[in-house]
Amino acid sequence: MNEPVQTRSLPPAPGFLTSSLRIFDLSIGEMLWSRRTVFMLLIVAAPVLIALFIRALVSLGAPVLNGPGNVRMTGPAIFGMMIWIFYLRFTVPVLGVFYGTSLIADEIEDKTITYLFTRPVRRAAVLTGKFLAYLACTIFVVLPSVMLVYLLMVPLQGTLGGSFIDLVKDLSLLALGLAVYGALFALIGAKFKRPLMIGLIFIFGWEQAALLFPGYLKYYTVAYYLQALVPHAMPRDNAMSMLQGIFRESPGMAASIFSLFVIWLVCLSLAGRIVERKEYVLEQ
Amino acid sequence: MTRKTRYFLAGSAAVLTAGLGTGLVAYYVGGFQALSAAPVANELRYVPADSSVVAYADVRAMMDSDLRQRLKAAMPVHEQGQLEFQQQTGIDIEQDIDYIVAAVAGVNPHNGGLIVARGRFHTATLERLAVEHGGVTQEYKGKHLVSSPVTEGEHPQFTLAFLEDGLVAMGTLAAVQKSIDAQLSAQSITGNEEMMQIVSEVSEGNNAWAVGRFDAIASQAQLPAEIASRMPPVKWFSAAAHVNGGVTGTLRAEATDEESAELLRRQVSGALALGEMLAKSDPKIAPLMQSIQMSGSGKTVAISFALPAELLQLIPMAAAR
Repeated sequence: MNEPVQTRSLPPAPGFLTSSLRIFDLSIGEMLWSRRTVFMLLIVAAPVLIALFIRALVSLGAPVLNGPGNVRMTGPAIFGMMIWIFYLRFTVPVLGVFYGTSLIADEIEDKTITYLFTRPVRRAAVLTGKFLAYLACTIFVVLPSVMLVYLLMVPLQGTLGGSFIDLVKDLSLLALGLAVYGALFALIGAKFKRPLMIGLIFIFGWEQAALLFPGYLKYYTVAYYLQALVPHAMPRDNAMSMLQGIFRESPGMAASIFSLFVIWLVCLSLAGRIVERKEYVLEQ
Repeated sequence: MTRKTRYFLAGSAAVLTAGLGTGLVAYYVGGFQALSAAPVANELRYVPADSSVVAYADVRAMMDSDLRQRLKAAMPVHEQGQLEFQQQTGIDIEQDIDYIVAAVAGVNPHNGGLIVARGRFHTATLERLAVEHGGVTQEYKGKHLVSSPVTEGEHPQFTLAFLEDGLVAMGTLAAVQKSIDAQLSAQSITGNEEMMQIVSEVSEGNNAWAVGRFDAIASQAQLPAEIASRMPPVKWFSAAAHVNGGVTGTLRAEATDEESAELLRRQVSGALALGEMLAKSDPKIAPLMQSIQMSGSGKTVAISFALPAELLQLIPMAAAR
């Protein structure tokens, strides 16, 4: 006697957000304990070590707060310079390039992308989950470094309370910078074959040149909007900075935040769209 | 997410939370805790609450500095002024005064320029000299005052008050009386938290500083409309200097809002860039221009500089020519 076959209905595929979070959960551990993170830790440890060194020298009575030409610098001023030089101009864009371009590229190189794309999740959700993992990874490494530098440097001829609002602004804009650069380079990584080189040319070539010249070119950079949010004065450490300072025109805070949000949204959306439609051919 | 990853993220979040919490507590508690430990805390209690500018100078350190010795050799004419002051008041600026606190309420010095000086003063000698020059002694709320004779015309009465042992006040009669009232009623500049916060920041490590309300001074200065309309929207200004072999200092302005501060920073940047270009043709001022650094965040714009002793020595030489 044939018994009726009971069919079990398949559970629905997870939604976009659930899929993204699942991929996030899967990727964050891989990303955090990869070799690339060692490089990131070296980058963010440098300013902390410099701050520790300066603090130790000041405690021993060395005149380290005397800057060039025997000018006396204060802790908050040095903190502001370190935010500009170490974090805003180097750490944030470089981490955006190295991590953002490799979100999909690493999976292709390791030939593991097939395993991700055969799951019942949208490809864009895979990218989004990996992007969230990149963001969490970089934020939880970079921002504590900024915090340590703040606690070490600001009390030198300054007060923690007096610089607290600036610290909150710095942390917010660095997180925003990581998100926007990450989205931009995720798009470059999804679209182009040599994304790392393109990314490096963009941050060290295009952005520096576009900010130098007066005109509309600077509107096609991320740094233009990001630097407008910085509460510290731009340091005049070299001729490039000096010239950028002369031609610098800052958009308002609302305009900058809106523009950065638009760049982030457009880049991430386009990256997701490209990943959904592109046929990835793994090299044999 | 593995346990190792969770621990790392938790640790990072803990560092962030601890730092933000510390900063938040410091921001709300904050205040001028350093006032009670400051060497001029007592003198600031004699500065009236409505003073628009407060300044301090460590006279002892400046007189003993290498710069002072060099300038003294280059500008002997000022020795004469010092001797005249000593003959008139009995006070030897080089030996008797340790430090001074000066205050001004508004632009018109007749409104209350005041100097409070800490040092070693021979009360009897000072009184005798003042009386010999026609001075009048009087008591005011328990303090002994010596005033110059009343003269017809616009010159106010100059008064010297013996506030405490080793502490004198100098200024117009009204200003000195106001100073005594401020200390007795506890209505002094120390109640102005905003100013005291700036004083605590500039006083550390500097042997001369001045803090003032720029907008209050500008409004009382009766500037022409063309100039007044172009004045930068600055609320507070401060200048601090450390005098040793040369002068290293910081000029700081606090704007009324962040947008004004950003505009001011850009203006200063442009001026400094122009100055650097001009300095290339004059090697004497090149070290000064190279030493100038702009900094500041939020509503603050600050310029740090260093004047080497060699450059300062050129001033009296130029004046002599």
